[in-house]
Amino acid sequence: MLVKLAFEERGADHLLIMREEHGNVAPAMISKGESADGVRLDIPYQLVTILENIYPWLSKGKIAIITRRCDEKALAELVKRKYVDEKRIVKIGLACSEEQIKKCRCNDPVPSNVAVGEPHEGMKDDELALALSKMSHEDRFNFWVDQYKKCNKCFGCTLNCPVCFCDDDCVLEDRTFVAEPNVPPGLSFHMIRSFHMIDKCIECGECERACPAEIPLLTMRKLLAKDMKEVLGFSPGDEMTVSPLNTSLEGEQLEDECDEC
Amino acid sequence: MTNFNPTILAFCCNWCSYAGADLAGVSRLQMPPNVHVIRVMCSASVKPEYVLKAISQGVDGVLVLGCHIGDCHYMTGNHRTAKRMPLVQKVLKEVGIDERRLRLDWVSASEGEKFQNVVIEFVDEVTKLGPNPMRGVKF
Repeated sequence: MLVKLAFEERGADHLLIMREEHGNVAPAMISKGESADGVRLDIPYQLVTILENIYPWLSKGKIAIITRRCDEKALAELVKRKYVDEKRIVKIGLACSEEQIKKCRCNDPVPSNVAVGEPHEGMKDDELALALSKMSHEDRFNFWVDQYKKCNKCFGCTLNCPVCFCDDDCVLEDRTFVAEPNVPPGLSFHMIRSFHMIDKCIECGECERACPAEIPLLTMRKLLAKDMKEVLGFSPGDEMTVSPLNTSLEGEQLEDECDEC
Repeated sequence: MTNFNPTILAFCCNWCSYAGADLAGVSRLQMPPNVHVIRVMCSASVKPEYVLKAISQGVDGVLVLGCHIGDCHYMTGNHRTAKRMPLVQKVLKEVGIDERRLRLDWVSASEGEKFQNVVIEFVDEVTKLGPNPMRGVKF
């Protein structure tokens, strides 16, 4: 069904999905004519991250991709920076299950066009985020220090992030910016990452899922998204090609953003 | 904290604030000696990473000083700073560090007195806030 929808109705040449093979689920790309056995739609993964990596090697053809609402936002972030040509992408909307929404504490789970799944309503609030925003500075500091002490600097959060664009010159790997070369990396690592994500994080929760130390990274992102909205009146994933981002000025085109960050 | 002497880092832009600081010095205005001035070419060249790194290494307060809005030597530099720094404050706030430890202000080359006032006020404020909580944390 999915194959027919992507290749025949939507006219795509490739299809990016999660596929089960030998009991393991991994991202896979199916080209026209190949079978789509073992497709799993219940495993959340930001396929946009994979798209971003293979896109430069695919010079021709349309790519169909399963998009949850968060994938859609991530694509918007990629498109506005001209990393990906929107015309070459076919979005197949997937509405998240209730269970998944609960896991992500997601407040905006329904994609703009739903092709697969039943749309469910989002959750209003993240309990931990609420609790944290009521805490005093001291309590919050102790909470986050305890959490970040578990970090073993595996870079899982950056590698799996669909909106981490700067490939080769990540400041997190640079002694100039992250002073602590040891493990755990100290607060500067997390604060700098928070700052870098503040204008593009689409709250997909991939960092939290990838984190082996189970740090509630998504909660931090949600808190900062709220602040971002408050300060600049902008949410990442909004389809704007002129920038309200923190690296550029009002009305400036979003092109060479990475050179500044 | 009666004997607490905060360490404060001030990033001053070459064209206005550094000259302002210089004027304050030449005019022999009295200031607390806690401030370490770093000259940068523009307040926009103060990467937020520098501020975050400084604070995570135990600096008690960071001052970012630039030209007044509209006076930037590079036309739009301080507009960018003005957009970024409030977000850096939010990052600090969410981690649990008081956002008043970072302050953005505008000091022109002729405002030696304003530089003095900013420094006195900021040192006062940070002294009241007490030492940076990062100092007590061993990772």
